[in-house]
Amino acid sequence: MNSLLTSAVAGLSAGGAYAILGVCVVFTYRLVSVVKFTATALGAIGAFVMVIMTEMGYPLLPSVLVGILVGALASTAVGLITTIWFSGSSQSIKAAVTAALLVCIIAMGQRLTGGQQPRAFPDIVGGAGIQLAGVTITAASLVAIGFAVFLTVAAEQVLNRTRMGLQLRALSERPMAAELLGIPVRRLAIGVWAASGAMTSIALMLVAPLRSPDFGSLSLLVVPAFAAALIGSFKSFRAALVGGILIGVIEGLASVFVGLNQYRAAVPFLVILVVLLWSQRGAQWDEAR
Amino acid sequence: MKRDSSFAALKTAALIFIAGALCLFLLSSYWIFLITAVFIIGVALQSLGLVVGRAGMISLCQMSFAGVGAWVVGYLNVIDFPGGLPVWLLIGGLAALPFGIAIGLPALRLRGINLAIVTLGFAVAFGVVLGTITYPGQTTFTMVARPSGLESDQGYFIFVLAIYGIIAVALEFITRSRLGASWLAIRHSERAAASLGVSVPKAKLSAFAISAFIAGISGGLLAGYMGTLLADNFSMMQSLVLFAVAIMVGAQFPLGAILGGVLVALFPELLRRLSLPQDLGSVFFGVGAVQALSTGETISEAFGRLGRKILPRRIRTQKRASEASLPAARVLDGDKAVLEMRDVTVRYGNVVALNRASLVVPQGTVVGLIGPNGAGKSTFVDAITGFLLSYEGKILFQGKEIDALSATQRARAGLRRTWQTTRMAPELTVGEYIRLASGGGLSDEEVDAILVWLDCPPSEQLISSVDAGARRLLDVAGAVAARPPVILLDEPAAGQSYAEAVMLGKRIAEIPERFGSSVLLIEHDMDLVRSACSQVTVLDFGAVLAAGATQEVLDMPSVKKAYMGIDFDEEAAQ
Repeated sequence: MNSLLTSAVAGLSAGGAYAILGVCVVFTYRLVSVVKFTATALGAIGAFVMVIMTEMGYPLLPSVLVGILVGALASTAVGLITTIWFSGSSQSIKAAVTAALLVCIIAMGQRLTGGQQPRAFPDIVGGAGIQLAGVTITAASLVAIGFAVFLTVAAEQVLNRTRMGLQLRALSERPMAAELLGIPVRRLAIGVWAASGAMTSIALMLVAPLRSPDFGSLSLLVVPAFAAALIGSFKSFRAALVGGILIGVIEGLASVFVGLNQYRAAVPFLVILVVLLWSQRGAQWDEAR
Repeated sequence: MKRDSSFAALKTAALIFIAGALCLFLLSSYWIFLITAVFIIGVALQSLGLVVGRAGMISLCQMSFAGVGAWVVGYLNVIDFPGGLPVWLLIGGLAALPFGIAIGLPALRLRGINLAIVTLGFAVAFGVVLGTITYPGQTTFTMVARPSGLESDQGYFIFVLAIYGIIAVALEFITRSRLGASWLAIRHSERAAASLGVSVPKAKLSAFAISAFIAGISGGLLAGYMGTLLADNFSMMQSLVLFAVAIMVGAQFPLGAILGGVLVALFPELLRRLSLPQDLGSVFFGVGAVQALSTGETISEAFGRLGRKILPRRIRTQKRASEASLPAARVLDGDKAVLEMRDVTVRYGNVVALNRASLVVPQGTVVGLIGPNGAGKSTFVDAITGFLLSYEGKILFQGKEIDALSATQRARAGLRRTWQTTRMAPELTVGEYIRLASGGGLSDEEVDAILVWLDCPPSEQLISSVDAGARRLLDVAGAVAARPPVILLDEPAAGQSYAEAVMLGKRIAEIPERFGSSVLLIEHDMDLVRSACSQVTVLDFGAVLAAGATQEVLDMPSVKKAYMGIDFDEEAAQ
């Protein structure tokens, strides 16, 4: 029983990172209606910049900040491609574009970071964490979950309370109409891409020490990110938050059972399958005439 | 049409044969070995072209399907299953098929990105599983046995080429069949496809199942080619690269699949000779795919366009088929009401779009449905043809309640409609569209006769080159070709010139007698309504305002006021 609890808690830190990633995916989907297959690969760029800088002897904090900045810039570059050339395209085309760009980013990322050679990722959150009912909750997982909750609340508040949030909502529903109203559509869209790139970089810095931290594997984290976002139907930040944490916990639980341990990484796929089959009940037709 | 597929199939088979013979005579065995890979990847690309290029669904796990096939072939090799590689390939393909169906299931009623997400998830999960269970025979270094007599690299090249040829020829037939046309139709609009009686789930699942089968075979071929395989051969990255290449070259075209195979198999060789890093290839494919997506034109299509510039395609002049060749009406019994709506109410949230509307279409008549914009006419048609999630009231078709039937089932039972905005797949030819719409069973002459009767473009013309007005006529022609008991025409004359509208009115009036179909006609063109309809129902604000013989109804003061905007009292006062 206690080992189950320990493993579930051990899954929390991955869960926290999944939650951040899921919230970011929902954020970009809601505001610029792009399902970003490149999300985690872009974050991985930021995370690797951080690692390379610490390896070169720079202190941790500036490395982290530069990493976040580079992640945001990389995301902005992809954002520019989709907003300049594909602003009028359907969602499927945009998704296909990001999937094709994912090929480029992974190929280049693996080349520049030394292929599947894992890097030593520093724990950017030190500290022992807290003891609760005989189980240690690490500081990293507390920070990840705390940051995910903060992002969820912030995203909701900004969208619902501020003037910029209003403009962003207009942008997401009718980009053309928003542009005609004088809303700086392109600047806002680029801002959304940059923000999500920065957030994803942070999430990947948190989760990287828990994984085999090579560029390809980190890029694959887009699957649990999508699974979390799907739990929120690509709409609800809160559901994505809870979903992400849940996926982490389920993965943690799976590690207890000897036969299941190796298949842990298949958990997000099963979640996707179940959520999609469940959400099919209502949907019927594509857009009306 | 049969002739067309046979001709195309023969051409493909001959080209593959010639290409194979040339390779065998001219190239060294090193190049033969390399070019074998071109055709194995070509098989995988054909499978992807079917799902991505034809049915318009994003699949990011094609190499995982190939991995299933390869694993099964490896397993059968280890247990020394009788029959050798040809039999193992088939079993491997069949093993991949249920995976294709299982992955396709979540996308049956959901569209777009969901399939992309679930396939990406599968690709990652499959990589994890294959990495754990490993490839059969990998630890004992057991190589997959090639077919006896074809063990040499030249021999295996011939074997791969033969398999490639069989699949390419089979695809020529399938893509020109009704099933192939239905894939293009769902890609363009699922609603429109359902209104033609195409089962959307069946079309999606069949595309995915056949695609997974072919991908499984390509995996088996790869197993025979390499002898043993690693999980890395079927990783998500491989699937993504294949997807990018398929988009870039247009894998649904015979030329595209070969070209893609050449790129994937030989580009690394080129980079190696230039002493450039191999992974530049992936970057190139990714950029190429983005470029193809932004121009909306794949490499195959670009070549085709240039080719037509140099050698313009000749369109055979249409045989002026006579009216005598029109297909016979399906004989219908009695003179009862063929379609009846009883107190149908439709709500969109708080808005009542239809309020207890009733309507009867008697056998063998053309009934008009008119009303100002926003009166609920199209909602009416959506309710009858099953495109609304729910409505209250009853709809009877040939005396039977059909409220429980889906849109596809209603279309198949013989309730056919056209759309205000036509949504035909532009890749189809006019003739292929009519055949798809007719539900099959028409001869070439009958198709031509229907096209001539409605003054439509010739059957060999591509729909992408047909103008909007003619597309509306084609929509009507498709409904007529099915000869259903009831046809609902939603503003067929919109966008037509006056002369065309007059001709169309005459033709619509002839439909009941010629094809045995009753017609419910929605139209704003009053001349057309007068000339074609024997009865008219008027809708206003979702309720039936008047119904009866055409002239009587159109003369009613309340109708004039609602519809023409003329206030009868005011007019009398002046």
